[in-house]
Amino acid sequence: MITIFKNKKDIPLNKEYIELNDIFFNQNTATRLDGKAAKYIQLIDVSELISKYKIRSRFEDITLNTDQLSTGCKTVLNILYFPNKVFCLKECGNNALEILYGFEEGYVYSDYAMIPFNMERVKVQTSRGCKEIKDYEELKEWWENEE
Amino acid sequence: MKSKPVVMEHFSTVHTSFVVDFTFTNNITILMGDSGTGKTATFSFIRECMAVNPKILCLDNYDYQKDVKEIIRQAEGKLIVIDNADILLNDNTRKYISLDDRNQYLIIGRNPKNLFATKENLFELASEKVGEQTVFTIKPYI
Repeated sequence: MITIFKNKKDIPLNKEYIELNDIFFNQNTATRLDGKAAKYIQLIDVSELISKYKIRSRFEDITLNTDQLSTGCKTVLNILYFPNKVFCLKECGNNALEILYGFEEGYVYSDYAMIPFNMERVKVQTSRGCKEIKDYEELKEWWENEE
Repeated sequence: MKSKPVVMEHFSTVHTSFVVDFTFTNNITILMGDSGTGKTATFSFIRECMAVNPKILCLDNYDYQKDVKEIIRQAEGKLIVIDNADILLNDNTRKYISLDDRNQYLIIGRNPKNLFATKENLFELASEKVGEQTVFTIKPYI
């Protein structure tokens, strides 16, 4: 399951935090894309990965470079290919969040709640420790409470 | 917050087969919604207009290192279009925007915090195929 930080200061020093998902994807993740990315590109952007660097867009069937993927899709792929880095969650739409919350691993940060209604379980981490949350309302409350 | 647009009530542009046709009912329009609906693509079509339309000012993650509030503070009579707003706008800048009556805003992001927004400010993108063209409009966010 994914691990959520709500304070930047709680991110361990040995974990790099990435705020600009677009640029990180273009410079790092794009070169790693393989078959496992295709499913997420289809689910989130309704586009088809037709080769390592090309997608067929949902708009007009035109072929585009993968740099034209949505930021939400890029964020999901960043987390998929770099599960030990911490990525900013703030530019994910609900469709991207629904997929991301089902990942078996990965780290994300947002200082405000971003929760899909279909969430099942996540880990939350603060300076006081790490715990598992399985309920939408409980997660929302954790996010909104000062610690 | 309900306030009439101070710069323009309508914006349209064409980029090859894509048409942007936006009608604004508020001075601050927050464009949100699912990932992959074409928000950033639309932003790029609007940004293209900066070259010929002095009323357009566009900001996005390429401006991450800049003082966005200062850029906005120096603008007057502009439609300021901000992509990646959830990482570009801090609380201070958001408060400034909410009180700015010299410029109009199209904010692409999902966090309305400190913009004093109500549901009347929240919109999402709609796209429709018309012949060989794709037309982007905005509709109230549900």
